[in-house]
Amino acid sequence: MRTPTDFSDDLDPLNGDHSNVFGPELGEFPHAERRASESAGDKEMKTGTTTVGIRADDGVVLATDMRASAGYMVASKDVQKVEQIHPTAALTIAGSVSAAQSLIRSLRAETSLYEARRGENMSMQALSTLVGNFLRSGAFFIVQPVLGGVDEEGPHVYSIDPAGGTMEEDYTVSGSGSQYALGVLEQDYGDDLAVDEARTVAARAIKSAVERDLASGNGINVAVVTADGVEIDRRKDIEELL
Amino acid sequence: MQGQAQQQAYDRGITIFSPDGRLYQVEYAREAVKRGTASIGIRTADGVVLAADKRSRSPLMEPSSVEKIHKADDHIGIASAGHVADARQLIDFARRQSQVNRLRYGEPIGIETLTKEVTDHIQQYTQVGGARPFGVALLIGGVENGRPRLYETDPSGTPYEWKAVSIGSDRGEIRDFLEENYREDVDLDAGVGLALRALAEVSDENLTPEGIGVATVDAESEQFRELPTDELEGYLSEHDLLASDGDGDEVGE
Repeated sequence: MRTPTDFSDDLDPLNGDHSNVFGPELGEFPHAERRASESAGDKEMKTGTTTVGIRADDGVVLATDMRASAGYMVASKDVQKVEQIHPTAALTIAGSVSAAQSLIRSLRAETSLYEARRGENMSMQALSTLVGNFLRSGAFFIVQPVLGGVDEEGPHVYSIDPAGGTMEEDYTVSGSGSQYALGVLEQDYGDDLAVDEARTVAARAIKSAVERDLASGNGINVAVVTADGVEIDRRKDIEELL
Repeated sequence: MQGQAQQQAYDRGITIFSPDGRLYQVEYAREAVKRGTASIGIRTADGVVLAADKRSRSPLMEPSSVEKIHKADDHIGIASAGHVADARQLIDFARRQSQVNRLRYGEPIGIETLTKEVTDHIQQYTQVGGARPFGVALLIGGVENGRPRLYETDPSGTPYEWKAVSIGSDRGEIRDFLEENYREDVDLDAGVGLALRALAEVSDENLTPEGIGVATVDAESEQFRELPTDELEGYLSEHDLLASDGDGDEVGE
């Protein structure tokens, strides 16, 4: 006997599946809300790190220190805290390592899937909205990334707060050493920096933080993003970039 | 219970291949599209035109209640041919997908992306037991990053991109006319004129502004706009297609 109602389980009846608008197209973020509410209980957000992002004339420079800290101990002396997440975009991470690694894996999957389906890369508007949506879900509540990338419009830098707020900036910072770095950027940032100049400014900002912030140190990672792609440089000695 | 349901499952699908590899239900759905009044899409250098034959069977019917052209999002219009009720479901699906893209990525959906979302949805109804295919074809026209795009969907769920196309009745005749008269570099005004002349080509009488519907998506403003009746009247008289009061065949022949 034919019963037209039987297919409703297989075929989402006419509505399409919109339950997951703010989540990933691939996989899911289990217990995101519960985790968010638990994190919100921690008044103090510990992000032993310094990361900076600068928009230059035809590219973006992102830089971070290389220290992972656990309380007053240096947990690792060689950490990469800026990762490519898109052919012309990278993300710096401050905060929980597990959350950041998971966020980066999810973003790489989403940008690849988007490109495969649509035949073009996500714009920075799309990518920043996606990162904001992911953080807003609560699944990655303890990260404070800086997003930088280049699209058809040109270079963009976004400051993203742990709750998913995204703000486009000319230059921005995150992490425990951010105030030291920001002081340098306020002095040295200019409107029409070339990429090379921006790289030097970023290195100076990281150096300032490394000198005075206990939880930052052990070298520098610099990602330069241009329309041609992302290049990440790792130096134990910051002086080489000054 | 579960086992029994599965044993019967082969019998439940109405979209089953014939021995020579055809899906009869999908082909019948295409017939349903052919019985619908025509809709036409034209892509020009500075926008997309959608035009539809909205003739009603009775003067008592309110012309505005004949739904052939729909706004899907600010920058996308959809014209349909075939079962109006089926079209409404797909158009609502398209509207929701358009908003999902804005929520997810903070930007308007691409025309190709939306078309493929819709055709993937249509395709499911050719493969799942108990379903009936959509008896409707759509023209999805819009502007994406300043570029006009025009797509067709059919009941099998295949997307096609066109420079100029028609769906519904007299498709062959209109296609011949468009192949003869289409120019890629004309402006939006000329595109509207071409669409109206194509409609008139297959119409027994001259056209009335109430009996047609035209909408455009301009490449510069990226906005969907349905042309009001007085504007349509202007286009019709400009191209000498306007029916005079009473009868419509004073043009002769």
